[in-house]
Amino acid sequence: MTIQHAAPAAAHLRNVNKFYGPFQALTNVTLDIPPGKVTCLIGPSGSGKSTLLRCINVLELYDSGEVRIDDQLIGYESPGGKHMAPRRLREMRREIGMVFQQFNLWPHMTALQNVAEGLERVRGLTRAQALTRAREALAKVGLADKENNHPSHLSGGQQQRVAIARAIAMEPRIMLFDEPTSALDPELVGEVLGVMKQLAAEGMTMVVVTHEMGFAAHVADRVVFMERGEIVATGSPREVFDAPSDPRLASFLQGYRERNSLDF
Amino acid sequence: MFSFQTILDNFPVLLSSARYTLLISVLGCFEGLVLGAVICAGALSSKLWLRRIAALYVSFFRGVPLLIQLLAAYYLLPVIGINVPALVAAVLTVGLCAAAYLSEVLRGSLNAIPKGQAEAAAAIGMAPRDVWVRILLPQALKIGLPAIVNELILLVKASSLVTVVGIVEITRMSQSIAAATYRPLEIYLAAAFIYLAINLVIAQAGRVLERRLTV
Repeated sequence: MTIQHAAPAAAHLRNVNKFYGPFQALTNVTLDIPPGKVTCLIGPSGSGKSTLLRCINVLELYDSGEVRIDDQLIGYESPGGKHMAPRRLREMRREIGMVFQQFNLWPHMTALQNVAEGLERVRGLTRAQALTRAREALAKVGLADKENNHPSHLSGGQQQRVAIARAIAMEPRIMLFDEPTSALDPELVGEVLGVMKQLAAEGMTMVVVTHEMGFAAHVADRVVFMERGEIVATGSPREVFDAPSDPRLASFLQGYRERNSLDF
Repeated sequence: MFSFQTILDNFPVLLSSARYTLLISVLGCFEGLVLGAVICAGALSSKLWLRRIAALYVSFFRGVPLLIQLLAAYYLLPVIGINVPALVAAVLTVGLCAAAYLSEVLRGSLNAIPKGQAEAAAAIGMAPRDVWVRILLPQALKIGLPAIVNELILLVKASSLVTVVGIVEITRMSQSIAAATYRPLEIYLAAAFIYLAINLVIAQAGRVLERRLTV
């Protein structure tokens, strides 16, 4: 048994709105995420990137609009209808991997147990099968020798790679990354981005909220710029980074370049 | 003149009364933990009426002295037509009271777990029961263990209050023996030793468990 890539899924958002009380976090967001491609979400903090990402697996339930994985609606039974039954939602979430900014590894389990837990409890594998596949997933992210370490005995970069292994072991059809390198020391960012590039090369559908413009420029197939809960611009990395058409995007990139210039 | 002989002579009787102390403590602890978990679940519920009931429960059982609760259970229950043996009333009341404290310990421990822990489990499609049993409770137990051990030790000592409903546990027995032998110092020292021994075992068990849960 090896880790297969299930057929990559597409995701479609149509007129998605999300409110926190009176604050509108997402406004009429419409976005197609093509299968097998890398879509990067960029924008200032508080612009709704993470909220959008969390609406795709309904960690946040959007208030109106439609979110579909391939053509299956997620979150509601029908557009504008009742909330989706919890069991049905869990079935859909199995197909959607997620990697968090703070890793969210379970501290009372070893790296191997972290990866095997979902295989056993959710996928229904036997203990032995789960451990075999978990070891393969850890090997894939280059951590075969760390399986018995608890998260507290791993570096941030290693923890995030375990978290990626935990997600890919479930054989998701789409992967969501919520600022996967933002909590890492700069020298550890590379190893995590390396694993993500490998996944991208294998044809995984990936949606990545990131502040790593270099990653977005080199790995993304499409870049989406958000501000104040709205999608302001989308395009290929070349279109977005080299010839920003929107003034807000241009000013965002200008600010980023100034902060990251090698001007000591 | 301090008499070791008095202690030796009366120790077996005193020790045999310790079974009531242990019975009330163990059953009360079990009841307190189970019911405490239920109350805690109520306090964390999304339903307002469940939170109200949990809050009312905690404020009552934490706000009224256990002594009064015991007397109330003993004298009031028969009035409303419920006749239970004193021992049953005592165990139930001690457990009800412990549940109030333990539910708050559990609530605090669960609140201390970062939200991302349950989110990571939900994101892979884990069912709520597994999220609780595999992810949240083990972490809450570890966080709350020192406070839970505290509660259990307090429970053992609070069991001495059940003398008011006529149960002859260690404290009551030592009073009787002290009165009969005119040797209060020796007898109460012996009683103190038994309480101390029980609580040292609990404290040690807590330390061992804590080490095993620490990574």
